[in-house]
Amino acid sequence: MGRGRLKVLRGASLSVKAGEFVVIMGASGSGKSTLLHLLGALDTPDRGEIEFRGRSLFEQPSSVRNDYRNHEVGFVFQFYHLLPELNVLENVAIPRLVSHGFFGWRSAKRTSFADARELLDRVGLAERAKHRPSELSGGEMQRVAIARALLNRPALLLADEPTGNLDARIGAEILALLREFNRAGQTVVMVTHDAGVAEQADRRVRLADGVIQADSRDRPHVRSGGPVKKEVIP
Amino acid sequence: MYKWFLAWRYLHTKLIALFGVASVTLCVAMVLVVLSVMGGFLDTVRNRSRGLHSEIVMDGGSMQGFPYYQEFEDYTRKHLPDVVRTVTPSIWTYGLFRAPALQRTGPTRVLGIKLDEYVKVNTFGDGLHYEKYFPGTTTLGLQQMPVAGLAADKSVVLPPDLAEANERWRENETDPKLIERFDRDPFKTTPYPDPASVSEGERQFAMRLGPPGYEGPKRNGIILGCDLINYRRRDGNFDRTLARGADIILTLMPLSPIGNPTGEPPAKVLLRYADDSRTGIYEIDSMSAYVDFDLLQSVLAMDAQQRVDGSFTKPRINQLLFGLQKGVDMNVAKERISRAWVDFLTNEVPSDLTSSEITALANVHVYTWEDMQRDFIQAVEKEKVLVTILFSLISVVAVVLVGCIFYMIVEKKTKDIGILKAVGASGRGVAGLFITYAAAVGICGSILGIVIGCLFVWNINDIQDWLAWVNPNLRVWSPDIYSFDKIPEVVKQADALWIATAAIISSMIGSLIPAYAAARVWPVKALRYE
Repeated sequence: MGRGRLKVLRGASLSVKAGEFVVIMGASGSGKSTLLHLLGALDTPDRGEIEFRGRSLFEQPSSVRNDYRNHEVGFVFQFYHLLPELNVLENVAIPRLVSHGFFGWRSAKRTSFADARELLDRVGLAERAKHRPSELSGGEMQRVAIARALLNRPALLLADEPTGNLDARIGAEILALLREFNRAGQTVVMVTHDAGVAEQADRRVRLADGVIQADSRDRPHVRSGGPVKKEVIP
Repeated sequence: MYKWFLAWRYLHTKLIALFGVASVTLCVAMVLVVLSVMGGFLDTVRNRSRGLHSEIVMDGGSMQGFPYYQEFEDYTRKHLPDVVRTVTPSIWTYGLFRAPALQRTGPTRVLGIKLDEYVKVNTFGDGLHYEKYFPGTTTLGLQQMPVAGLAADKSVVLPPDLAEANERWRENETDPKLIERFDRDPFKTTPYPDPASVSEGERQFAMRLGPPGYEGPKRNGIILGCDLINYRRRDGNFDRTLARGADIILTLMPLSPIGNPTGEPPAKVLLRYADDSRTGIYEIDSMSAYVDFDLLQSVLAMDAQQRVDGSFTKPRINQLLFGLQKGVDMNVAKERISRAWVDFLTNEVPSDLTSSEITALANVHVYTWEDMQRDFIQAVEKEKVLVTILFSLISVVAVVLVGCIFYMIVEKKTKDIGILKAVGASGRGVAGLFITYAAAVGICGSILGIVIGCLFVWNINDIQDWLAWVNPNLRVWSPDIYSFDKIPEVVKQADALWIATAAIISSMIGSLIPAYAAARVWPVKALRYE
């Protein structure tokens, strides 16, 4: 970054199973967003591999990674990142629209809008379909972002601090929504610096100084005749 | 397809794109106006040049002319009836023109024509002024001066044959506005015998207090170029200051068959102003005078002249003018007449020709009307091309402006680019989005530009009249200089189409660098901060 090189990740290894709800925690600058971007092929590692279903992403042409981001990954960002000139319905539908050319455009547009309406209904924003992002609250925009991320039924939902820009109540609603999709089978990998948010996840991974310091999947709970000691990863 | 979807959405939601549309609009309109006006100018020159000449001209190449033309006329009538419809001889020379009543003297190109044949090979007859309103009265033969007089009821009237001719015109004229304009000012009169009046009027006649009639000695008529004899006002109309039938003096120099002045004093020929001709080309209308063919041939000693040995020279002319049969291709006709001339020279012309005759016949060439006007038309064509290129170069500014605008758009849209890449759009797709956006800007700008350009061209003369009304110095198209009354008002569809295509392609070219920059945007960086 800048005029020098800064090592963000220094050999972090992570594997995610289908259906997991994984939270990556760490202080600011620990490399958690970078790890998320690498998982989503938004960024390129200097060394190491990113494999999806046994295939290395970065030994393939860029078109494979574009296709991966379009079909297998859904991103939810801290600042929502909706397209301001499109309305809510169009924002949700855009992942399907970018993958269709001239032939089949009309039917793709029809089905993507239908699926988008269904998703908006699930996130509770069916009546806001024709509104622009500037007319929505932060929580509503994040719901739209979640709906957009899920349009193509991706294998992986990557959320980078999805509640970071929301107040506690709205943030809790967003988390509940993510939990709901996860219970339905959606794999979720979420980045946060908030321990309270991390409590919601099945698995917590701690990142510090570019390496994974702890992974709750590797530390079993200890049962004894006495009170259960729950190990809490601070 | 999503590129068109997004491009259209950006087009009508981003104000900055309107600047791009505006620049394309202005450039398209500007080039269309220039091309239409210059193209119309060229078409007018071409059409009027076409009317000036016969379709085929056989030219002797020099002022002393060539002989055996009568024999060749007969030859073509006999051997080329499928090609040649009519043929007529003409003579041209240079001389001095003087209008004593106006005290005006100047150089002029004099053509000797057989008027009734000449009007059949070109559109000369359409440009005659008095012939239009008094059909059948213009002649180059012997004539007196027509004089208006007083009728029994004291009204000013013309001689009966002119009045009858005018009545014939009224019966056949289809434009009621023309008749209305004529009736507002049928003619102005001026005192005889020295018509030196400078009053305005479409038609000028001398007047006397008695009954109308004809006066003065009979002289051959002369038709003058309208700019030779009349003063053209800045609004394109003429001030006619010479009465019909007034005296005109031509001073001419006869040449021998080998082209030398004969040694005789220059011939002074007294004529009567019969009509004026308007071809629409100033260079011709300010320099040309037309007289009777036989008269000019005699004055210039180009008719049969007796030699010292008692024999006669063959009469000479400068040009033989051919009108073609309908449907005959001009270049085919040129080829056939040229071959016929060679056959004629080989088989029909006697072998005992003088050296001057041999030289004169060898210099005869056959041309189409386009060949005759090539230099003039080419000059106008080159002018059109030059002006179009210059204005098109200015339009390069639009390309650069679109490039700058799109660079700014890409800078502002960096986050959107990151979002699109995050949902799976490729770099090429993102680049394509901005090129498509530029094409949309080009399409909208072209459509608006063509509409504005067409409206401007179709109303260009009214706009100019209004500007001249606001400030006379703003009259940019001066009929007294350009000879055409009106600025051309026609827009060709083909011109509009290629200009629009060029504008769209130029917009897309202007966006290439920004599109490339957009393709290389690193999505992580674009999405890192709000």
